[in-house]
Amino acid sequence: MIERHLMKLRARDEVDAEEEEAIRGTVAEVREYRSREVIVRSHRALETSNILLSGVACRQKDLSDGRRQITELHVDGDYTDLHSFTLKSLDHEVMALTDCTLAVIPHERLQEITRRFPHLTRVYWFATNLDAAIHREWALSLGRRNAAERMAHLFCELHVRLGLVGLVDGESYALALTQNDLAECLGLTSVHVNRTLMQLREDGLLEFRGGRVTIHDLPRLRALAEFDESYLYLERRRR
Amino acid sequence: MPHVHFHLNNAVGLVHDGEGQEAADLDEARAIAIENIRSILAEDVRHGLIDLSGRIEVTDGDGRLLLVVPFADAVTIRTDNAP
Repeated sequence: MIERHLMKLRARDEVDAEEEEAIRGTVAEVREYRSREVIVRSHRALETSNILLSGVACRQKDLSDGRRQITELHVDGDYTDLHSFTLKSLDHEVMALTDCTLAVIPHERLQEITRRFPHLTRVYWFATNLDAAIHREWALSLGRRNAAERMAHLFCELHVRLGLVGLVDGESYALALTQNDLAECLGLTSVHVNRTLMQLREDGLLEFRGGRVTIHDLPRLRALAEFDESYLYLERRRR
Repeated sequence: MPHVHFHLNNAVGLVHDGEGQEAADLDEARAIAIENIRSILAEDVRHGLIDLSGRIEVTDGDGRLLLVVPFADAVTIRTDNAP
């Protein structure tokens, strides 16, 4: 059930059998969410966190007139809101962008993990540091990269992150997002997203069609985005 | 007309919108078109270009043309020198 979560952890650290069993034991229940359902509301007291088992979810913040910014995408195996374990509430929402299945992890069980397994505490501390690194990279994109570079960077990031959990087939991966979802990730508008997608397609870099991204020229796509995967901390080492 | 499509027609060519989005009425469709044009113009300006020759064509689900919004409608142009 949490296979992809373990794959993701093991891509960057060692998780032994006892630790694996402890992680499996944190799951209290499994919940299904429909596309567009809010998984975690902001500014509410929270006593659980969630691991995304399948689907695409996002963290988002919005302004009173409806302008919305997605600040991170989450894919299979990610904790979507491990932060609430220490924050106790979230300053943003977590929403399902596709139908999603999530494992619910009570904070009291995480408390037990931190008490019994100092190494897993560091593994999960690393996970929240990694989210922060992804946010910094998105800030660089939103502030300084142009539309094509920004979009290229997002598709490069997802290529690596989905690859870690076995969801990349050759240079192609499923991504059931709308143009508008992409617009809200990239700080653009849907027509602008459409124009930028056409530009990347005509340059022979990638295609996004029918909920699937197919990268035609990964080296050139990475060069356009100045994608440096070091911010994803892919080294497998004891944390 | 809840679901409408926003096709972009400019110097680069036609960008067909197969997906579309919701708009309550023509006023909202026009507001969405204007927002999209401004996003594109803003990007072009970062590359040193102001090209107002484009337009967005709004169609319904059957491809019927509902509205044409020229890029020039999305901005006020001021070229007189500051005093």
